[in-house]
Amino acid sequence: MADAQTAITQLKEAYPDSIVEMSSINGTPRLQVKKDAMPHLAHFLQTHPDLRGALSLLWVVDHRPRETCYELCYLFTLSERRDWLLLCTDLYGEDRLFHSITPHIHAAKWYEREIRDMFGLIPVGHPDMRRLVRHEHWPKGSHPLKKDFRWDTVLERVQGQHVFRRIEGEGVFEVAVGPIHAGIIEPGHFRFSVAGEPIMQLELHHFWKHRGVEKLFERQQLTEAVPLAERVSGDTTVGHSLAYCQAVETLMQVGVPRRARYLRSFFLELERLYNHIGDVGAICTDVAYSLPHAHCGRMKEQIMQLNDRLTGSRFMRGVNCVGGVGTDLTNEQLTKTIAELDDLELDFTELEKIAFANSTLKDRVETTGVLSDRIAWDHGVMGVVGRASGIDRDIRRDHPFAAYDELPPKVVLYRYGDVRARMRVRIDEIHESLRLIREIRQHIPQGPIVAQPTGSPASGTWALSAVEGWRGEILYMVMAAENGGIHRCKVRDPSFVNWPAIQYAVLGNIIPDFPVINKSFNMSYSGNDL
Amino acid sequence: MFPILKKSLKAGVVTGQHPKAEASQEPISSEAAQNAKPFRRSLAIREVDTGSCNACEMEMNALANPVYDVERFGVHIVASPRHADALVVTGPVTVNMERALKDVYKQTPNPKIVIALGDCAINCGIFKGSYAVTGPVERHIPVDVRIPGCPPRPAEILNAFQELRADKDVD
Repeated sequence: MADAQTAITQLKEAYPDSIVEMSSINGTPRLQVKKDAMPHLAHFLQTHPDLRGALSLLWVVDHRPRETCYELCYLFTLSERRDWLLLCTDLYGEDRLFHSITPHIHAAKWYEREIRDMFGLIPVGHPDMRRLVRHEHWPKGSHPLKKDFRWDTVLERVQGQHVFRRIEGEGVFEVAVGPIHAGIIEPGHFRFSVAGEPIMQLELHHFWKHRGVEKLFERQQLTEAVPLAERVSGDTTVGHSLAYCQAVETLMQVGVPRRARYLRSFFLELERLYNHIGDVGAICTDVAYSLPHAHCGRMKEQIMQLNDRLTGSRFMRGVNCVGGVGTDLTNEQLTKTIAELDDLELDFTELEKIAFANSTLKDRVETTGVLSDRIAWDHGVMGVVGRASGIDRDIRRDHPFAAYDELPPKVVLYRYGDVRARMRVRIDEIHESLRLIREIRQHIPQGPIVAQPTGSPASGTWALSAVEGWRGEILYMVMAAENGGIHRCKVRDPSFVNWPAIQYAVLGNIIPDFPVINKSFNMSYSGNDL
Repeated sequence: MFPILKKSLKAGVVTGQHPKAEASQEPISSEAAQNAKPFRRSLAIREVDTGSCNACEMEMNALANPVYDVERFGVHIVASPRHADALVVTGPVTVNMERALKDVYKQTPNPKIVIALGDCAINCGIFKGSYAVTGPVERHIPVDVRIPGCPPRPAEILNAFQELRADKDVD
């Protein structure tokens, strides 16, 4: 139905004076739009019944010293064929104001607050102007991604207190949780307002782990930043490094050998496998059903030891490099792996039957933490969480990368949006991953595993790359600087998009159910906080 | 009931089925062993993440799985710093987590030891120097034991715990 070209035609018809220029970046159509018209165009794109564009990424580039200008880019995914469409606008000179699109598009809420914190640009009309990444003790005027902010600035500490939204009334209590939690998890703060048992409101206060990853990228060379990408979120090592490598390869115009593309899919599916198995066990343990947790822990450990044997790292660090992969596998290794995974699938299927025959589990996970498809769509929710709420998006099918153009996956889709649906998506994806791994073994070609990158891309050129990691869409935007450096690297883990949605999924549930709802979302704090 | 029993019998005992750890480059100092002595053969641990990439957390979680089963050595993961003998800190200390780390340290009753887990906690690793990172753990609280690695394997963490609890004569 609606592809990017019809979208452009319709936009042009509706707003003939607002579009300044049209171009294409590596196949993605790009429209240069007048600043004042951006909210209208974004609104049109999102609400038009034929287009239904979901905001996928919003980023800013500080073009200094080349040009005194901030460029804002809005990436939309159109609903039918999941084509990408890019709207861009510039802020020249001392202009610090841009029009917020949040009043129309919820998904932009955190992006715009992030932009305000990192660049000091003000989203005019944004309903929530509190700080997001910079906690209140950061000094005024410290905007780390501006080019005149030194990467190693030592920040002083000022007085400041985060103000939470408050619900007041008889019998309303606030429950504060975090940043340090009871289990071995990452830091984040949750503020519940409850009256009796049910949750009336949940507010997140995150970004405790902000380490300045995007600024650190700007100090690296294009070909040498893979270890940093691997450490954005440790459990998504392969997903993040692959997304980064793909962006750099597009910039440098490196053709990745076919065998390397197959191996990349192989490692990515292994990563999906161990994380999903771990999550299924963790959801069970959060409803006090520890038998599957023990079995899943054992199976997850089995795969991690397999990773270690195959690649020398339990997290498969160092498998991706710019131009291909750093680790080759022999046929014998592949055959052995398949045999081991076949046994594991039998093992897991048995466990699945035992777990779903248990009424305690069913009672706790069904109708718990429902994320409706409407809210999921409004917030641009994606990945496992999105697919459990009927959002039919999977980068492996929509924008094939690695070997997925030759081995398309079956996309798992559920509609209920409760904890059970998210658990089912994971379980079905485990079987699908195992099928894909077997397919890869059958079709993997012989040949080289790495192509040497040649030359350095011109300063200011950029590329976008997307990978379906086990949590969902990982997006990277990499812009080259002079002499093979990085001018800007925008990292977007799916957690950044899915976190705000949990605030809606918990409403009406009781606090003791929050851990299991949170676990069924299982978002990364470090990938979110950067 | 029958399938559950069958499953457990089929899986058998998996505890200890993991590759041996390589010897640590940071052996436990006699000072640290001295500090750990009051805890004898049991150790209650509170894990604090101050900005890691979550790989260290995954390996800490792996210690609780049936393969490593850290509880068999008397090592417990507790829910509050007030119940803890030892703090395990991972990650470089970020600007936002600095205050929380100091609070946790204060809340932990004496005697206590601090274990810095992973390269980031020891020397900030790849994040060294960033505006959002205030420095390694020892800049804020005294560190007794260091377990290097990015991330260290669970077997290595287990070794360090065992060494710490070994019934050594300390002068």
